[in-house]
Amino acid sequence: MKRRSSNRKNNIYLPIKGRIESIVPLTEDVNFYRIRSEKPLSYGVGQFFMVSVWGYGEVPISVCSLPEKPEILELSIRKVGFVTNAIHRLKEGDELWFRGPYGRAFPMELSINRDVILIAGGIGLAPLRAAIHWLIKHRKKVRHISLLYGAKTPSQLLYREEFTQWEKEGIKVVLTVDSPEDGWTANIGVVTTLWHHIDVDFKRAVAYICGPPVMINASMLDLYRFGMPLSNIITTLEAHMKCGVGKCGHCYASEKYICTDGPVFSYEEIKRYRLL
Amino acid sequence: MSSEWILDKNHLSYWLRQLRKEADLIGPLRKPGGDIVFESIERIHEIFLDLPALIPGPKEFLFPQYEKLFNKRDSKVEELSIKRKRVVFGVRSCDVSAVRLLDRFFLDRFEDPFYSNRRANTLLISIVCNNPEPTCFCAGIGTGPYLREDYDIQLTDLGERYLVQAASKQGIRAIKAYSFIFSKPTRTDYDDQFEVQLSAMARFQKRISLERVRSMIITGKVRDTFWEKVATRCFECGGCVYECPLCTCFTVIDRVFGDEIERARIWDACLFKGFTRLAGGVLPNERMVMRTKRWYYHKLVHYPEVIGSFGCVGCGRCTIVCPAKIDMATVAIKIKALADNEEKIIEQKE
Repeated sequence: MKRRSSNRKNNIYLPIKGRIESIVPLTEDVNFYRIRSEKPLSYGVGQFFMVSVWGYGEVPISVCSLPEKPEILELSIRKVGFVTNAIHRLKEGDELWFRGPYGRAFPMELSINRDVILIAGGIGLAPLRAAIHWLIKHRKKVRHISLLYGAKTPSQLLYREEFTQWEKEGIKVVLTVDSPEDGWTANIGVVTTLWHHIDVDFKRAVAYICGPPVMINASMLDLYRFGMPLSNIITTLEAHMKCGVGKCGHCYASEKYICTDGPVFSYEEIKRYRLL
Repeated sequence: MSSEWILDKNHLSYWLRQLRKEADLIGPLRKPGGDIVFESIERIHEIFLDLPALIPGPKEFLFPQYEKLFNKRDSKVEELSIKRKRVVFGVRSCDVSAVRLLDRFFLDRFEDPFYSNRRANTLLISIVCNNPEPTCFCAGIGTGPYLREDYDIQLTDLGERYLVQAASKQGIRAIKAYSFIFSKPTRTDYDDQFEVQLSAMARFQKRISLERVRSMIITGKVRDTFWEKVATRCFECGGCVYECPLCTCFTVIDRVFGDEIERARIWDACLFKGFTRLAGGVLPNERMVMRTKRWYYHKLVHYPEVIGSFGCVGCGRCTIVCPAKIDMATVAIKIKALADNEEKIIEQKE
């Protein structure tokens, strides 16, 4: 029997140490974390890290920044489970461990010379924030950019302070909520009620989608009906994960490991593998 | 690379005793209650050679049920890799075939360092099954009762002697170091081996073609109502998963002992409802039938597509442990019956 020699460099499960440089509360239950890593990092838009709190466990979190400073990692984390609650109890200066990056990145080069539609729901804007930063960086090579973003309530919209900056860069930001609060003047309803706000050649455009499965499904179906090629409709899927490297089996769905084969998939792949 | 020798059975204990000097020796042992289990061997003569399908199987030695990964104290993380050498004696051909697939799963793409360490330090000595159990169906899959390649050391029982075959560097080394007890096989030995293999093949009570089952599934002939029937019987005990030599799903837990934190992985089962639960409580595979299908599809559809062989080696352990009789062999036979029935209907129409 053949055995691989075990002269590997790194233990794939060993997290590296980071320190929380700053915490900014974005909403009631979402915090923005700026983490300084001990080692330089390199990652793509849409990739994720296994974020680790010793004594609690690890969770997959999408990165919401570009690797412009190789030792800085930005994550937006919603307080929703056992580990994320533990993360929310951490303070600036505390250790936060992580390993990665894992998974396929968004094919950002698809957006070159095309109209781009970003569709997000709730915390789903986090990975798309990295995409927006990428698009701003390559603004001259990309045509119209629009962001359709929905949340349950206006106060649950992420990155509200960044919207003006994004609009200044020529991104059309269209917002919607399920239930309005005082002073809300924008749209009410699901994101798929926002199509008439944007003027896009759907047949030549590319869409990046992240949000709850229902929202992903509905938007993909609409875009498909508008004539967008299946391979230009890009989304990212969420799954329970323990390892991030295709071993633990938790994220396995219809012959694919979301962690290593995804989490980014085109609508074409989602249809072919019946992933949603 | 395969080298062959003859070992007189009287010399087996001597050989094993020598191997034990360099490594932990694990083999089948009969316990006072009558159970036969893999355990560390203290007295060589106690090794139980008339092997049934052992439950639990030898998966534990490469992928333990509870495996410590890291220990953290203050800001220092210690990697808990076991580098102790082991000889596992008395595994079956199906188990070796399973390890061959586990190697691809754990070592390809992202190399699992914990598996890799254990694997590199484990020597598997398998014994050809001259007498397959009624639950065995490896012959139809090609994972037993004897192997042609890719074993460490394979023994064939020829009465008073073993035909010993070694196909890995480690295996050959374990024989060459004691070459004075091994002799060259003769024509008679090979004739006897051929006889034994033929008779073993003839003794299988179950003949199952997983290929037929797979083609029924991928052509959509196994309807959801069939899987519903399978799923309603399931007790969700996870026995099949834990006993399957190819099931490797795990979960990771952190435990705090004072100022020390231990991170470990433990076996998990995709048949459990909470297996895919997302933070926030969404259950993607809430209905049992989804999880039943997932298990069977993974082994019968995904494995052949991605790895090129079935995710089942026909060891029959799930048949032994399943209290609901919805194990791989039974389900395969049911699906084959559907196929036969279908053919009959077609014949009648013609």
